[in-house]
Amino acid sequence: MANIEKRRIIDSNKLSSEQYFTSILKEAYAKGLLCDTDMENIQMQCIQLLAYKCEIYNGGESSSIRVEEAESIMKSNLCTIGLYLKSLPDVNFAVSELKKASIFEIYQKGRKLINVRLHSAKHIFDLIRKNKLVTPNYSYNSTINEGIESFFKAYDPDYEAHETPASIDYQLCNPVTDLIGIEFIQKYLENLFLENEFCRHFAAEDIHYLLYGYDKEYKDLLISIFEQVLTAALGCSFANRSVVKLDITAEEIRHLHYELSGYNEHSLALKIREAAGKVLEELNIDSLPLRRYIEKSLPGIITNILHAVRMNTLDKTFISRVLPDLKPGIRFLSGAKMHDEDYRKLIDELLMCRHSSDKLALIKEKVKSFGDLEDLLFDAMLNEEEITSVFDILGDIEIAALIRRHPFKTDIQAVDLSEAEMALRLYLKNYIDRLPKVRQEEIFEKADSLIVE
Amino acid sequence: MGISSSLIEKQAITEIEKCNEFTAEFGLVLSRFEAAELVETRNIALRSNGRIEFGSGAIQKIIREFCDSPYISMHNYAETIHELTEMFYYYKNETLDLMSDDDLIKFMKNSFDGKCQGSLELLSGRELANMARNLRYGYPPDYSEDQMADEEDEDGEY
Repeated sequence: MANIEKRRIIDSNKLSSEQYFTSILKEAYAKGLLCDTDMENIQMQCIQLLAYKCEIYNGGESSSIRVEEAESIMKSNLCTIGLYLKSLPDVNFAVSELKKASIFEIYQKGRKLINVRLHSAKHIFDLIRKNKLVTPNYSYNSTINEGIESFFKAYDPDYEAHETPASIDYQLCNPVTDLIGIEFIQKYLENLFLENEFCRHFAAEDIHYLLYGYDKEYKDLLISIFEQVLTAALGCSFANRSVVKLDITAEEIRHLHYELSGYNEHSLALKIREAAGKVLEELNIDSLPLRRYIEKSLPGIITNILHAVRMNTLDKTFISRVLPDLKPGIRFLSGAKMHDEDYRKLIDELLMCRHSSDKLALIKEKVKSFGDLEDLLFDAMLNEEEITSVFDILGDIEIAALIRRHPFKTDIQAVDLSEAEMALRLYLKNYIDRLPKVRQEEIFEKADSLIVE
Repeated sequence: MGISSSLIEKQAITEIEKCNEFTAEFGLVLSRFEAAELVETRNIALRSNGRIEFGSGAIQKIIREFCDSPYISMHNYAETIHELTEMFYYYKNETLDLMSDDDLIKFMKNSFDGKCQGSLELLSGRELANMARNLRYGYPPDYSEDQMADEEDEDGEY
């Protein structure tokens, strides 16, 4: 008898968080907790609920509705019902509720729950706006400033409860994968809030230097700031450095690799968990949700570190910070441009010149500033050969400045550029490609450290 | 969970049968078999137009509106309702859902009894097609090009 009772219990691991209601029905039916009559009754009630919702949706003016709209409303209803069932103490309780209460009642309770969740999500979002990090990362800023805001404006809990009308690009360390609608956004916001909480233990400029060391163009990357910071903090802890500054040198990383290579998988994982404990202690992190979140993030980070140790790429996992402001730079001043009238005269003269050599001589004689030269390359209707001759008279620094201001882009990337601009960039690229390798490297190095004003 | 069509059908057939109580005074009665066939026609029309409906829906309304038409008698009753049902769902899409069920059925009834004098071909091919085009172009449903020509002539006189 005891065995029969056990087999009837639904394994909650088999239930889908995304389609909770339908997965409960499937499991309960398979375990014999719901009979055919129960199933038919529930299905009938779901259809009646759908019919009722469709009628309201149509404003009572149409008895039929497009299939895709009806399907969306049905998904929304099922999501709302599932939300309420999830809020019950356990799965068996949910099944008995399905038997006792009508689907309409359950839906109404779910709908009220959505309102509560929406309120809670808005509150967390307000907190996030307060503990937002100062970072140039575009996906982070746009997700918080615009992406999530749009959810609260566009979310329709009556007919599209299962949709997430938000533009969320920022990657969390623990992505939310098995939830939909308001549940998804609430979980995402909770995780983002905790990630911010952790990162706020570090100075914004230290995080900036760390991420700059990861990639100087990190502002355009889809990265998890929290993951980078936590990994760096673990690295500092391993190297017995102060965690707060996130400062670990390349030499220390090499030493760490040598040290960690000696551990097997299990003991390395243990060591990383130990380091995580030290990080929490050093940062005085008492918040239980944050400690749990970090705990949940560790498996992914452990895998990354293990992989890096095996592949000898630990310097790509533990990042040495780079201070961009300390990099030597070449300040480039374009010089005063000539008077507009003189410039027009020069262009007229150039357009009248028949021979390229004359044009080149004129440019050499009259053009004294980089700004004028740049304008002239667009206005004087020069062909590739003539433009190449102009490049020939320029020094490395001027070429480097041109590269910085007119970097070559493929046709797809350059859709917004004018034809003249595209042509100039192509000629410049062709010119650079023809130069000897050593000079190319010198020019690119200069372009890299150029501060164009 | 899929939307169980058999359950919807059972309910729809019963509701169509109930209309007999109302239409009997006009000498029009549908058997259960004919009601089932009507539901089948509706299902095909709904499927081919990518729509879904609950209960007897529009059929019941069509029956109630058309049962007093002088052009419908017992010998063409079921057949006419079949055709009208198909037309209804087709033009529901063609009018981009801009017209309510009641207004569309009323328009069909007025045209059927009036200009079309009981011709289903004229109703579908001319009146409903013109009305749907008018709605799509932002004109009133009963707008006609003759009307526009008349207006132009009037303007021309002055």
